[in-house]
Amino acid sequence: MKDTNMQNPKISAKNVQVYYGDNHAIKDVNVEIADKTVTAFIGPSGCGKSTFLRCLNRMNDTIDICRVTGEIKIDNEDIYDAKVDPVQLRAKVGMVFQKPNPFPKSIYDNVAYGPKIHGLARNKAELDEIVEKALRKAALWNEAKDRLNSPGTGLSGGQQQRLCIARAIATAPEVLLMDEPCSALDPIATAQVEELIDELRQSYSVVIVTHSMQQAARVSQKTAFFHLGNLVEYDDTTKIFTNPDDPRTESYISGRIG
Amino acid sequence: MANHISSAYDRDLEAIQTLVVKMGGMVEGAILLASQSLETRDVELAEKVRADDKKIDALELQINEEAARVIALRAPVSKDLRSILTVLRIAASLERIGDYAKNMAKRTGTLVDMPAIAGSDAALRRMAREVSLMLKDMLDAYLRGDAVLAEDVRQRDQEVDQMYNALFREFLTFMMEDPRNITACMHLHFMAKNVERMGDLVTNMAEQVIYQVTGEMPEEARPKGDKTSYMTEL
Repeated sequence: MKDTNMQNPKISAKNVQVYYGDNHAIKDVNVEIADKTVTAFIGPSGCGKSTFLRCLNRMNDTIDICRVTGEIKIDNEDIYDAKVDPVQLRAKVGMVFQKPNPFPKSIYDNVAYGPKIHGLARNKAELDEIVEKALRKAALWNEAKDRLNSPGTGLSGGQQQRLCIARAIATAPEVLLMDEPCSALDPIATAQVEELIDELRQSYSVVIVTHSMQQAARVSQKTAFFHLGNLVEYDDTTKIFTNPDDPRTESYISGRIG
Repeated sequence: MANHISSAYDRDLEAIQTLVVKMGGMVEGAILLASQSLETRDVELAEKVRADDKKIDALELQINEEAARVIALRAPVSKDLRSILTVLRIAASLERIGDYAKNMAKRTGTLVDMPAIAGSDAALRRMAREVSLMLKDMLDAYLRGDAVLAEDVRQRDQEVDQMYNALFREFLTFMMEDPRNITACMHLHFMAKNVERMGDLVTNMAEQVIYQVTGEMPEEARPKGDKTSYMTEL
């Protein structure tokens, strides 16, 4: 695979290996991810793309049999260093999941929860401001401003997912991880979330795992193709979708039996 | 390359490929028949070339529609995308060549009543034959995904250009010798220019085949042989 070193990567992974017990799920992945860029991870089910994504905010710590080796740095700091508090790390590296999972609380409390526990607001006025800003950024403010105290679970699927994005960005993260954020949404809600992802790129480094090739092509600037735990190819999205170097990438993106 | 998981997708692409090859074969025939009708002063044959051009045009429409359908339904990427883009450009070029052949056939109808210009009919036929061979090889290269053969076709356009240069000089000579040759020579020159343009279009298609196979347009400049733009005298 060609050299993908970049000038000032936001995230840099070197020789990352992940094991679930005896299962070698990620095999020696080296990748550098840019700031203010959307990077898409694609690949067939079980290829390791979600596993690798979860390494980036140490979500895999919660799985007993999971072992991560190698080095992952964000802003040149090793996130697996003993000094790093995973909770602080996850405030900096937010995550949005496949199925919208709002807390069983009001819309306001869903967004206010993170800033409260991280002590980001000194008073109610500041918290209100954070909540409004996050909801605006997540393109949900106009729909939610008159019902901030209604339960988050009462929103539509697409609105719930935008609420989860608002919740993730309320703690002022620098990196946003998205694990198939649109797979449970209809095409309109999907288009809204994609539009939002494109706007979030101005402020964050966004890494998205998706099964939709078209979505990867639409929203990302860089694409990484994973296969059987290997990072097969990593390049500009345009290159990956018009003329990939590796025949395995070609087979996968064009819907052939690889 | 392995088949698509969706076999209907493969069938769609194959059907389009078949249409392109069919259209290519018809255009190849039109080039040969147009030059033959000139040499044998066969007005009926010329009429057939003109009539057959409608079928060529219809095939182009059909190819465009099928290609649009595949783009809409399958959202092709990578090699599949390149093959669809190539098909569209090849069909457009073939249609143009068909028009040039038709134009030659029209002029044949005019030329039958004029005295022959010594040797020019046969020279035109040799030139047309060369172009039809280039077209045949280009279609083979397209069908087999053979970038090497496509590059060979691309290089051969030079020879057609040289034949055109020689004919250009010849027609000038005949016109200077006797002004009564001017009308026939003007028509014959347009026919020679038509064949020269056909060669350019075949070259474009060959480049498109290289793009389809390799993902990149050939960078190296192709040798250009048409020098008539700079000719001031014999």
